[in-house]
Amino acid sequence: MSDDIKLVGFCCNWCCYGGADTAGTARMQYPPNVRVIRVMCSGRINISMILKAYKEGADGVFVGGCHMGDCHYVGGNYKWKRRASMFEDLIEQFGIEKDRFRFEWISASEGEKFQQTMRSFYEDLNKLGSLNRKITIKKK
Amino acid sequence: MSSEFLLIRAKDELVCGLGECGGSVTSILQYLLDNDIVDNVLTIKKEGSVYDAVPVLISNSEELNSTAGSLHCAPTMVADLIPKFINDTKLAVVCKPCDAMGINELEKRNQIDKNNLYKIGLNCGGTLMPKQAKEMFELFYEVNPDDVIKEEIDKGQIIIELKDGTEKGVKIDDLEEKGWGRRENCQRCEIMIPRNTDIVCGNWGAEKGWTFVEMVTGKGKDLVNNGIKEGYIESKTVSQKQIEIREKLEGIMINLMKKFGEKHLIIEYPSLEKWDEYWNRCIECYGCRDICPICWCNECEIEKNYMKNSIELPPDPLTFQGIRLGHMSFSCINCGQCEDVCPMEIPISRIYKKMQRKYNEKTEYIAGFSDELPPLFSSTNE
Repeated sequence: MSDDIKLVGFCCNWCCYGGADTAGTARMQYPPNVRVIRVMCSGRINISMILKAYKEGADGVFVGGCHMGDCHYVGGNYKWKRRASMFEDLIEQFGIEKDRFRFEWISASEGEKFQQTMRSFYEDLNKLGSLNRKITIKKK
Repeated sequence: MSSEFLLIRAKDELVCGLGECGGSVTSILQYLLDNDIVDNVLTIKKEGSVYDAVPVLISNSEELNSTAGSLHCAPTMVADLIPKFINDTKLAVVCKPCDAMGINELEKRNQIDKNNLYKIGLNCGGTLMPKQAKEMFELFYEVNPDDVIKEEIDKGQIIIELKDGTEKGVKIDDLEEKGWGRRENCQRCEIMIPRNTDIVCGNWGAEKGWTFVEMVTGKGKDLVNNGIKEGYIESKTVSQKQIEIREKLEGIMINLMKKFGEKHLIIEYPSLEKWDEYWNRCIECYGCRDICPICWCNECEIEKNYMKNSIELPPDPLTFQGIRLGHMSFSCINCGQCEDVCPMEIPISRIYKKMQRKYNEKTEYIAGFSDELPPLFSSTNE
């Protein structure tokens, strides 16, 4: 296991962040490479935030939200779902593999799901290696 | 609401001669202005030569005559002018399909008040870049480009009329095979008849000197019927055969455009290495963003300090074009303005159209047409 894989996780306050909390209190082990950023809702995540993460050197970005119908703000995750499906196509245009981005619905009680997701995402990223953007900017 | 069809032309003989197909659009606008149904008319006007068109705002119906006639060599768009400058007046706007789609997208974003607006659509088979058109007229038509006083796209040909009255036509297919002809965006644009307007005017299926008009909305129907009643236009009924001719023409065009779409966006789509080269050309002039009819935010995220990490050029495409793609590519109407204005000739509209196509495949959202709201606003029931 290499430690230099950087994984940024945007977690919604009401579900996925709670899920991570559950995983923590139950002492379930998951890769320490993930840096969790708490947001109030997955619908609040702007595509630019994820692009910024890649730009700053993240090798993979994970977004966790509530299950469909469970959103604290009624419809935030539906809006995010739309954006996410578009985002997968977007990063490919810039030479970033689709697999470097993942989103999942994790409720506050699903600590195990959080653990499993982080593990499998980390393994996938490990196979891909650190992000080497094909589109590079040549500084003069 | 089902559409109704009519053949119309201007009753006024002067207007009838000035316009392309009987001056119908000009006389409808005259009717709107004379009867104070609208305060202003937004359209484009020939400025000097056929290669230059400027948007004009007209409030006096006598000035309308100067705007009659077609202008294919000047791809000027008017959609984004409405929210910026003239959203507070009652307005009639003459729009080609991309204008109409731009207006539709801005309406969904609450930037344009639908109720204040009369949209008069025009059939469009494509436009040409002025510079390319000049060179093309020299090369293929063997004329002095400054002698051209009128141009028209009809029956698959680009026809020009010279000062001395002679007409010359060359097939679009022949021109485009050699890399000339219409703008790339127009080649792959699949919307020739803007059915998201109130009425659509065009010459397909019409006899010479008449305009085939499709009245899409109830507002449009009232407009044409009142115009006839007030004596501005005269009308004829449309035969079933003419409707069929028009539909057939549209079908042929759409098939052709689809082929171009495949060619531009899949077969000949630039590789990542190629894009690498293109992005390295960028001089961060923000021209593409400023001209984009969909981009309307007062504060733009790509200018924020936290999105830039240096003042050096070129900007990182991920946080420059990437953010713009994420914000509006699902609504890209393929107008091609971004590519037209790019000083470094980056084929930027291809990436936007490609993203829109992918989004369309997933959600069936047609930019500029679908009633549903774009993703940031989309409904909860899915």
